Amino acid sequence: MKALDRLLPLIQNETLKIWKKKRFFVIVLVLLILIPIFTYAQFRINETNKKNFKDWRNQLVQQISEYQNILSSDRIPEEWKRSRRIAVQQLQYYLDHDVNPNSPDGVTFTRSFLSNAVTLFFPLLVLALASDLVSGESTAGTIKMLLTRPVRRWKILLSKLLALSLYVSLIIVVSAVLCYLISGAVFGYTGWDMPVFTGFVIKGSSVESSFVHAIPQWLYLLMEAGLIWVSAMSVALLSLMVSVLVRSTAASIVTMMAAVISGTLLSNMTSSWHSAKFIFSVNLRLTDYLEGSPPPITGMTLGFSLIILACWGIASLAVSFFVFTKQDILN
Amino acid sequence: MRPLSSGNLWKIIGISAILSTLLLVAGFGFAVKDMLYPKGESFEGRANEPALPAGGKLSEGKGIAITAIGDSLTKGTGDASGEGYVKQLVELMKQKYPDTSVRLNNNLAVNGLKTNRLAQLLETDKGYSFALKQANIIVFTIGGNDLFKIASGTSRGKTVGELNLDKLKAELPQGLNRLARIVKRLHAINPNAQVVYVGLYNPFYDIPEYRSGSLQIQQWNDRAYALLHQYPNMTMVPTFDLFENAIGRYLSSDHFHPNHDGYAQIAVRISQSME
Repeated sequence: MKALDRLLPLIQNETLKIWKKKRFFVIVLVLLILIPIFTYAQFRINETNKKNFKDWRNQLVQQISEYQNILSSDRIPEEWKRSRRIAVQQLQYYLDHDVNPNSPDGVTFTRSFLSNAVTLFFPLLVLALASDLVSGESTAGTIKMLLTRPVRRWKILLSKLLALSLYVSLIIVVSAVLCYLISGAVFGYTGWDMPVFTGFVIKGSSVESSFVHAIPQWLYLLMEAGLIWVSAMSVALLSLMVSVLVRSTAASIVTMMAAVISGTLLSNMTSSWHSAKFIFSVNLRLTDYLEGSPPPITGMTLGFSLIILACWGIASLAVSFFVFTKQDILN
Repeated sequence: MRPLSSGNLWKIIGISAILSTLLLVAGFGFAVKDMLYPKGESFEGRANEPALPAGGKLSEGKGIAITAIGDSLTKGTGDASGEGYVKQLVELMKQKYPDTSVRLNNNLAVNGLKTNRLAQLLETDKGYSFALKQANIIVFTIGGNDLFKIASGTSRGKTVGELNLDKLKAELPQGLNRLARIVKRLHAINPNAQVVYVGLYNPFYDIPEYRSGSLQIQQWNDRAYALLHQYPNMTMVPTFDLFENAIGRYLSSDHFHPNHDGYAQIAVRISQSME
C-alpha cells in the first residue's frame, strides 16, 4: 500500500504531463475531422444503394452474385478467391437468416469504423502519445532532473507506462463515442439491439457455421473495442521500448510507423511466407477473428495472435525496464 | 470557464480512464470467452416475403421490375460497354412504357452457370426467391454452358468453346430435364411475372465442321419451348437466326458471346414479346 502511495503521485504527474503536451487534443481534433469525412462517404454509398436497390436483400443478393462472378474467373489469384468464397458464405448466412449486415445506423457505422481503424489508425494515435514519452525527456534534457529525484528508476518508467495505458483506453472509448455521436446524427442513433453473427469457423476456403450465433450489436461493439484495446496496448508497449532505446523522438516515431505499416502490408501478401505470422504487426487485426474474416496467414487463430502479442509485449517491457534502469545518462 | 486545478483534472482523467479500461477489459473478456468457447445457437430471423406484383398487362401495373438470372449471356459477357441485353432491355421498356416506372430489380447472372446449379439456387437460395418474387418481368438464359464445354472467365482472343457433336447430343436430355426443374421452380416462386427465356444459338455456325451442331441446338430450343408452353405467362425468344449469316456482325471477339449489337437485337426481341 505504501508503494502505491508513492507511485500514485508519479502517475498523476505523468498523466498531467501528457495532458499538458496537448497531444490528446490533437487526437480528438483528428477524430473530429476524420469521422465526418467517413460519415459523408458512407452517406453517399447509402444514397447510391437506395437508388439502385429496393431492399437491402436485393443489394446483398447482388453482392453475392458479383462475388460469384469473380470466383468464376480464371484470372483472379486463388488467394483472392479464398477470401471471396468465405465472404459469399457469410453473406449468404446473413441473407438466409434475414439479418442485414450493413444496416445504415450509427452503431453499425461505429462498428465498421473501429474494425477498419485497428491496423493503422489506432496504432498511429497511440504512437502520437507514446513515442516521445521517454525520448522526449532526452530531447528536452529533462531526463536528468527526472532521474535525480529520490525515486527508483523503475517506478518512473512504470508510472509513465500506466499513464500511457490510461490514455490508450481513453483514445478508444473517445473514438467510439465520437463516432457514434457524429455518424448517428446522419444515420440515426439506433442499432444497439441488431443481431450480428459471430463464430464463423474458417476451414480452408469454406466456412463452418455450426458455432455461429447471433449477439446484439452493443455486445459486439464492446467485444470489438476490448480486442482493439489489447491490440493498441501491445503497440503502446512496443513504442515505449523504442522510445527508451532511441533518444530522438522523430526516430522513435519513424521506427514504430515503419513497423506498423510494414505489418499491414505484409498481412496482405504473406500467404506463402508462413513464419511472418510471428511478426507482431501481422497480428494486430484481432477484430477479424470476431468478424470471421480469414486471417492473413492460414492457421492463425485468436489464441495464437494473443500469445504472439503477449510475447512481444512482455519482451519489450523487459527490455524497456532493463535499459531504463541501467543506462547512463551522459550528455 | 474556470481552468481546472491540476488535482481536479487528474481526478477527471484518472477516473474516466479507469472506467474506460474496465469497460474495455470486460469487452475483451467477453470476446475471448465467446471465441474460445463458442456455442452454436440457432437464430430465426423474421421471414420477409415480398408481395407478388399483380399479373396482367404491364402498362396497367404500378411499375415494372425486371429480375434477370442465368449465365454469362445475361451477365453481358462480350459486350464492351458492359450493358448486355438486360440493361438495354430496361432502356427499351422505358421507351415502350413512358408512363410507368421501369427498373432493374437484380441481375443475378453468374458467368459459367449451368442448369444444375441454377436449379439448385432456385430451390434453396432465399435471395433468389426474394428477388424473383418482386419482379413482374423475369428474363433468363441457361443451357449454353451445359451444351458447350466452355472455359469460364473468358479472356479476349482465347478460344473458349470446344464443340464435340456427340457429346452435345448426349448432354441434351439431361440438360432438358434440369431445365424442366428450373421452369417448374420459377413458376412456383412467381406465377404472375412474365417470364422470357432467351433461346440458344450456335456460335460455331461459321465453322463448317461444327455447323450441324445447330440441329442439336434447335432440338434444345424446341423442347425448351414445349416446357415453357405449359405456362401461359412464359415464352421464349429465338436468337439462332441472328448468329447465322450475320454472325460476324453480332458475335464478340471471343467467338462465343454476342457483342453489344448482338445483345441489342436480343433486347429488342424481348421487349417486343412483352405486353
